[in-house]
Amino acid sequence: MTTVTAFRRSVCAAAVAATMAMSVAADAHGIWFAQRAKQLALIYGVGSDDLDMVKRLPQVESVTAYDAEYRPITATARVAGPIVLVDADVQPTLVAAVMPYGVWSRVGDGEFEKKTLQEMPNATVSTKNVKYAVSIQGSLAKPIPALAGHSLQIVPVGTIPATLGTPLTYRVLYMGAPLAGARVINDMVNDPDAKEVLTGADGTVILPVRNQGLNVIRAVYDGPSDQPTLYRQMEHTATLAFTLAHAPE
Amino acid sequence: MKRTLTIFSGLTLIFALPAAILAHGSTHAQHGGVVQMNGETLFELVRAPAGVSLYVTDEDEPVTAGSMTARLSVTVGGQRRDVAMVAGKGNQFFAKGLTLPKGASVGVLVINKASQARYGTTFAIK
Repeated sequence: MTTVTAFRRSVCAAAVAATMAMSVAADAHGIWFAQRAKQLALIYGVGSDDLDMVKRLPQVESVTAYDAEYRPITATARVAGPIVLVDADVQPTLVAAVMPYGVWSRVGDGEFEKKTLQEMPNATVSTKNVKYAVSIQGSLAKPIPALAGHSLQIVPVGTIPATLGTPLTYRVLYMGAPLAGARVINDMVNDPDAKEVLTGADGTVILPVRNQGLNVIRAVYDGPSDQPTLYRQMEHTATLAFTLAHAPE
Repeated sequence: MKRTLTIFSGLTLIFALPAAILAHGSTHAQHGGVVQMNGETLFELVRAPAGVSLYVTDEDEPVTAGSMTARLSVTVGGQRRDVAMVAGKGNQFFAKGLTLPKGASVGVLVINKASQARYGTTFAIK
């Protein structure tokens, strides 16, 4: 093999790798809650990409909040300049959101297009994406239940520790039941390319709490289609966000 | 020697600065109640026979209660009761006749009337 051939193959392999990486990145986006200027904001993105949530707000299906007993309280999403804030009527224990993100299809290694199987009948991949987010805003007096509308959900098992590095068990629920084989990463914001860990038979995974601050855990599950004539699968992406307080100043 | 002292003094000042800059003021109760910090906002909840007071301080500056609304959500025995507080003098909000039993979870939400900015926290009454 000549040097030129080797170089071409290397470039080719790099291109394929880049394409694969882009595909993963395109699927890896999610929604989560985080503080912006002391207000609770709904974020869309991945890693440090805090993308345009305002233009995506019409796609948000629900924004909900819950009190200490997990009863719904009124919550609304509000555009505030370039970001989306969530206003609750009273101090919430949980806030949550669901955002269907359309049907995406592609042929082979081609680029994903926002088309259904009817619009792209020769598609080899066709998926409907749905994003879910839950954020813990107050102390938990009892386990978090499966929330209405959240087909995929991450719940902590046991008490959330006070310091980073402490192991914490998470359970991933699909349609309210423990899900084996969900793909989980520990920090969607600061370590988005981490190797995914699969949940066990009981739907749980144990991970050390990564940050003495905002933690955003992500789970992904490729589930069955509810409209097979339009898409072959549904990709569910759920986040669970909570914060650990820093030391007193 | 003089130069060394100057550099040392400068470094000392630099290292001393962060702690002073990062502090958000007093984190202690000023009215005999219990306190919770959320970021740079301090909430003090005071229980008294006449009712419950809330004092809010933002980065060591008392807020103007009249420019805000305050609401408590009190959960006891699985039941939640929402209570609108009345703005008092300075940074005080007051809920006349309200009692907070041990074991209650008390959510506090203060809303700036002009900006709609929300500041909140949760107290566990012991």
